[in-house]
Amino acid sequence: MKRTILGAVTVPLALACSACVTIEPVQPWQRGDLARAEMAFEPDPVQAAYRRHVEFSKEAASGGATLSGGGCGCN
Amino acid sequence: MKNDERRTRPAAAGPSLSALTAAALALPGLAQAQVETDLLYSRYEEADLPGSREANGQDSERYEIDTYLFRLAAPLGDQAFVANVTYETLSGASPWYVQPRQPGVDDTPVQVMSGASIREQRTDVQLSWALPLAGIDWGVTLGYSTEDDYRATSGGIEFEYTPQGVAHTISGGIGYSYDKIEPERGASSPDVIAEADKDSLSAFAGVSWVLNAKTVLQTAISYGLHDGFLSDPYKRAYVADGPTLVADSRPGEREQFTVSARLRRYLSGIGAALHADYRFYRDDWDIEAHTLELAWHQMLAESWRLTPSLRWYSQSQASFYAPYYQSLRSDGLASSDYRLSPYGAVAVRVDLRKALPDDWEIGGGAEWYEADGSYAIDTVEVENPGLVEFLILNLRLGKRF
Repeated sequence: MKRTILGAVTVPLALACSACVTIEPVQPWQRGDLARAEMAFEPDPVQAAYRRHVEFSKEAASGGATLSGGGCGCN
Repeated sequence: MKNDERRTRPAAAGPSLSALTAAALALPGLAQAQVETDLLYSRYEEADLPGSREANGQDSERYEIDTYLFRLAAPLGDQAFVANVTYETLSGASPWYVQPRQPGVDDTPVQVMSGASIREQRTDVQLSWALPLAGIDWGVTLGYSTEDDYRATSGGIEFEYTPQGVAHTISGGIGYSYDKIEPERGASSPDVIAEADKDSLSAFAGVSWVLNAKTVLQTAISYGLHDGFLSDPYKRAYVADGPTLVADSRPGEREQFTVSARLRRYLSGIGAALHADYRFYRDDWDIEAHTLELAWHQMLAESWRLTPSLRWYSQSQASFYAPYYQSLRSDGLASSDYRLSPYGAVAVRVDLRKALPDDWEIGGGAEWYEADGSYAIDTVEVENPGLVEFLILNLRLGKRF
């Protein structure tokens, strides 16, 4: 239990730290790279929706920064 | 099918402040200037279950699924409308129950597959409407999914809000689904229940930060509550000392909780974006899971994008799961579903997309996925014989107007 809680806390923190930055003020004219399509949290919504459906059908875990839709009778 | 349309489409309007900010913080595509259409065809094939893991010693074919997914996103002034339509056909055999290879002699668990090949089709429609209201971007989604034996009606409301003068966006949402199952009777399920239903509630909250001019991070928590019939009506569990086969029986309620983070880092020197996603999952069936995904989005000559990615997943087992049971549990719960068993999985993916003249886009990709006890974090002492391996191939076509 301790190990899983530790993992749940430290891995997101490690991801944040991996950016090797503190939050810096970013002016609008500096956001060109951030606005690129490949920088979106989900650059491909069609593919992402399909993969979530497959993973939902084959794994016990689901959920995240998105709403769950209806279920299915998938085996 | 889940809904994430509003946050996923980068703004494609002119270089206005709102458009840039919207894309940078993954805000809804309210400012998109074009009608976007996408068609995805996907072929899903599960590897045969080898005879060494089958009770009858014979290789057994499993599921094959063809999926067609169409998406339309259209701007309506400062609002946007998104429709997703999915149609898929399924055929093949499904794991039915697990038993000892030779009861009393060889306790190795082996899989028994459903007797007849299953044929089914599913249609899913999701409609979303995004609009700004009182300084907050809102999204409303309605969905309906229907199969021969299963129907789901769902709806949800989401929001995203960026306070003035800050570098973060707050998001959240709440959704509900009513699912009804009316199982069909067949050779593998002569005594299946007539009908059952369940209610599902889901909610999430997240914060996205612009860390610097090349890095964004999103963290989120989510909660899910399912109440009703959560068992699989077509599956059975083997009990050595009791009645040999009993119905798959799971608790009538399930609470799920996740903590997740998504990092995006642009590497301008080589024209690539690194994506790193992690999710921790826990539910009150005692399942814990970790998911880690790394993707590399490489632009090639501006019109090509190559995206290799790697995904790793590990889960522990449900408290009431067993490959098979020596005797009935006192609470009557029983399930040998491999999806409730302890295992890990790896997936290797590659996608290629090319922009064409006149706002056309084509692409394709492949994914190989394998579940195995050796990929799990913890040692898996007894692996479920029904763990899945599959290959996905897909083609896509897009057009902007």
